[in-house]
Amino acid sequence: MDLEQLRKTAAEVVARDDVKYLIGWKKGSYGYRVAPVFVEDAAGVAELIFSPLCTANLTTYLTLVEKTPLPRGQEADKRKVALMVKGCDSRAVVQLLVEKGIHREEVIVIGCPCPGVVDQSLLVEKYGDTEEPVEVKWNGDGFMLVRGGEEIKIPRDEVLAEKCRLCRYPNPVISDHLIGAEVEKWSPAEDSGVSELDAKDVDGRWEYWEEQFNKCIRCYSCRNVCPLCYCQDCILDRLNPTWINRAVNFSENTAFNISRAFHLAGRCIECGECERVCPANIPLGKINRKMAREVREKYGFEPGLDPEAEPFQASFKPDDPEDFIL
Amino acid sequence: MTEKPKIGVYVCHCGINISATVDVETVADYALKLPNVEVARTYSYMCSDPGQSLIKNDIREHGLNRVIVASCSPRMHEPTFRKAIKEAGINPYYLEMANIREQCSWVHHDIDEGTAKSKKLVAASVAKVRLLEALESKEVDAEPSALVIGAGIAGIQAALDIADAGFKVYLVEKTPSVGGRMAQLDKTFPTLDCSACILTPKMVDCASHPNIELLSYSEVEEIGGYIGNFDIKVRKKARYVDFDKCTGCGDCAAECRVKDRFPSEFDMGMGKRSAVYLPFPQAVPAKYTIDPESCLYLTKGKCGKGPKCAEVCQAGAINFDQVDETVEFRVGAVIVATGFDPFDASRKPEYGYSDYPNVITGMEMERLVSASGPTGGKIKIFNGKEEIEPKEVAFIKCVGSRDESVGNEYCSRVCCMYVAKQAHLLRDKLPDANIRVYYMDVRAFGKGFEEFYDRVRRENVRYIRGNPSEIFKRGDKLVVKVEDTLTATPLEDEVDLVVLGVGLEPRADMRQTMELLRLSQSPDRFFLEAHPKLRPVDTATDGVFLAGCCQGPKDIPDTVAQAKGAASSAMIPLARGKVVISAQVATVDESTCRGCGFCVNICPYTAIELVTVNRFGHEVEVARVNEALCKGCGSCSPGCLSDSIQPKSFRDRQILPQIAALGVFK
Ligand SMILES: Cc1cc2nc3c(=O)[nH]c(=O)nc-3n(C[C@H](O)[C@H](O)[C@H](O)COP(=O)(O)OP(=O)(O)OC[C@H]3O[C@@H](n4cnc5c(N)ncnc54)[C@H](O)[C@@H]3O)c2cc1C
Ligand code: SF4
Ligand code: SF4
Ligand code: SF4
Repeated sequence: MDLEQLRKTAAEVVARDDVKYLIGWKKGSYGYRVAPVFVEDAAGVAELIFSPLCTANLTTYLTLVEKTPLPRGQEADKRKVALMVKGCDSRAVVQLLVEKGIHREEVIVIGCPCPGVVDQSLLVEKYGDTEEPVEVKWNGDGFMLVRGGEEIKIPRDEVLAEKCRLCRYPNPVISDHLIGAEVEKWSPAEDSGVSELDAKDVDGRWEYWEEQFNKCIRCYSCRNVCPLCYCQDCILDRLNPTWINRAVNFSENTAFNISRAFHLAGRCIECGECERVCPANIPLGKINRKMAREVREKYGFEPGLDPEAEPFQASFKPDDPEDFIL
Repeated sequence: MTEKPKIGVYVCHCGINISATVDVETVADYALKLPNVEVARTYSYMCSDPGQSLIKNDIREHGLNRVIVASCSPRMHEPTFRKAIKEAGINPYYLEMANIREQCSWVHHDIDEGTAKSKKLVAASVAKVRLLEALESKEVDAEPSALVIGAGIAGIQAALDIADAGFKVYLVEKTPSVGGRMAQLDKTFPTLDCSACILTPKMVDCASHPNIELLSYSEVEEIGGYIGNFDIKVRKKARYVDFDKCTGCGDCAAECRVKDRFPSEFDMGMGKRSAVYLPFPQAVPAKYTIDPESCLYLTKGKCGKGPKCAEVCQAGAINFDQVDETVEFRVGAVIVATGFDPFDASRKPEYGYSDYPNVITGMEMERLVSASGPTGGKIKIFNGKEEIEPKEVAFIKCVGSRDESVGNEYCSRVCCMYVAKQAHLLRDKLPDANIRVYYMDVRAFGKGFEEFYDRVRRENVRYIRGNPSEIFKRGDKLVVKVEDTLTATPLEDEVDLVVLGVGLEPRADMRQTMELLRLSQSPDRFFLEAHPKLRPVDTATDGVFLAGCCQGPKDIPDTVAQAKGAASSAMIPLARGKVVISAQVATVDESTCRGCGFCVNICPYTAIELVTVNRFGHEVEVARVNEALCKGCGSCSPGCLSDSIQPKSFRDRQILPQIAALGVFK
């Protein structure tokens, strides 16, 4: 990754009058963590990084910004927001465009071709946790961990995030500025997690999910981190009617998780954020990827690729397969 | 809601339709114990005058403000009871119907089960009715004109009726001439009127009628709007012949460099036409058209030293610079009369239609017997070796009808009779020929049909019951392999000519029309009417009506009758000059709508658009429903992730308590 070019481009972008800030990643203050950063002026760009630790999908911040009521007479700030994206993240941008969650003229996309990021929990598992902020770099085919002056080579497969093993779009599908050259695509691994579940019978699957959903503590981290869960007023929070009860029990947890899966069918772009943040280690990716697989195989549709696409959930063709209707 | 609900529950016996499987008295007693129910009564026919009076009197006497009728489907009588309660002074939308007939008494046999379920349905209605909102329906102006799509006999008749009543009609026909399939027929069963003789005057009338604007060789491209105000865009295809200058003399066709080289559509490919042509001599309008697919100049850019047609046309009408033209107008109602396609006989390969020139279809037979047809009415056919006058003729009925193997389970309703007609016409022309008809059944159901069938049989036309399995060639003859199922005898019948009684199919291009008007298909794939019995010419879209074979196979009398029905229905909004817009429409909660536009895509009636609103200083997009277009179907609602769009009277907060009362969930 060409940090020079990233910072130079970022400096040019944030210097523009019509840009509010740039959202990127910066070095974290704890172990393997990196932190999001909102850069408002050229001075701030020195903090920007792009490394295998930049797992988080920053697209979420685009819609997290609250549109608080303005005093009468005050104009809304219509300046653009610039955003660093990996391949997967860029699909969230496209999907937001499709759903009119954002408009094209509101964003500047800084595309970062991505050789694959690490799963921090695997790093912790294999190389131990650390309080000191450490650095991880791309190194040839694998990664390099830099810790207290020591350089440790890590084979790619050992710590590569699952979403990256399955990734079909490592290069941004949309960008205004591309940082560095596009990376060569690798052939995505077979999604064994989903296939193994598919192979089970209904009872087997139910048993599996019963165990998983029982763990859910309903913190809603998965929803909050999801770049595509951005309704102003989520139905989970509704009281009249109360679609999902507040009670944390298997029935309500299941209702919640299934609702979320359905709301994301044909919308989830498989950035893996929900699963990454889930404190209960529920394999949420499997649900969403299963839905995505169905949508892809049955309807030939993949979200987050074409900003002009008709939203999947809102499209209907008379010859759509409907064999799932019992 | 401020006023306390006072509910009246009316349980209908529907004669014994309901009361045989539901103990209506028990249901009424039960209802009386439900919260806020003031009165509960039963009556033999609630929809009758005394039944309605019962409700009206109670409203006045007991000061009821909500009414539940436990009876049939709301599709039947919701309008009836809404009107009744409105007359008694309460908002017509304060009505809830518990369907204890279609959804209860008709599906249960056991009276205890039926009664128990009826109680639940009534309890559910009680839970909902208190939550209903008062709604007001609105009126909008209607444009006093109509669009008729398709100018076969159905479209022509509908257009003439509406025009005669004094309304403007736009009649759009895809092909260069009006007339449709009927123009191709020779004589018509059962009376044997000459088709041209009865049709041509109507064709001429519809072109010359002061109230009809005939747009031939044109196609409807866009239809927007709603009943009373449909916005129409029509593309008039370039004829490359100046419509006003052409005198119809035909010099161009006679001199065309590719004269008589192309199969004539009108003559089912048995006759030939030039690149510039009039489909048939009586065509209306009598204006020539250059077919862009066969014209040398238009396909190759060059026609000898210069187009012959342009050279010989005295009127100077040939114009290769012509381009398609778009016309736009507004109408109050639309009639779809796009007709049918004859079944494609090559889809039954066992009958050898694609292999043997002497296997022909009924449609081709019409042209062959016609005095104005390609052979001048002489029955001459080529048997693969020579042209002969057939001595042995076999008709096969039900080709492509009543045949699941080709996906057509329905009866085409005209083949029995047109085969009889053609057998009769052949008998006239070939007195010595042996003519037989292979049939599964003979359905001679219409007026004069049975008499006609008897007459044809007396004319020495043999009817043999059997469905041929195969046709193959043996020497100069065709062999029809069949079992005579009345005598259980297998036959190999040698003949000179086979006529396939092909059925009627939905048009191959009907999808376009469907999408333009958001029409639906019935299982037979023809256009679906709003109700098979009570609204046979209406569609689910208000202001759009069906006429003729596009709705299902029918003969000319039925087509004309339906066309007249469609015309009279279409004239209702035109004559009133106003249309009532239903109040039961979807509404958007603009404070939660995220402006994604999913609903815009989903709405089958294009009733929703995104508009920009100011939300506390921020410009945001939100969905807005055009109440005139919305049918209250509710499709949008489940598509909305933030639950922001809901049909009035069917809002979540209204139907969830209803469902809860059924005891389905807590
Ligand atoms: C072989 C045969 C013999 C028959 N013999 C008899 C008989 O003897 N007696 C009898 O009563 N009935 C007979 N019938 C039935 C008769 O043909 C039909 O009842 C009649 O033609 C139906 O008329 P229509 O106007 O509904 O359809 P059509 O005649 O099919 O007319 C439809 C018209 O709409 C036009 N059109 C289609 N799509 C569009 C579009 N998208 N835009 C604009 N224009 C469009 C077409 O070009 C056509 O002109 C026979 C049928 C067949 C197949
Ligand atoms: S993040 Fe995990 S625990 Fe929290 S609500 Fe989502 S699934 Fe449940
Ligand atoms: S689907 Fe719902 S959120 Fe989206 S535009 Fe329509 S009403 Fe608004
Ligand atoms: S209820 Fe919704 S989907 Fe149905 S017509 Fe109205 S706006 Fe369209």
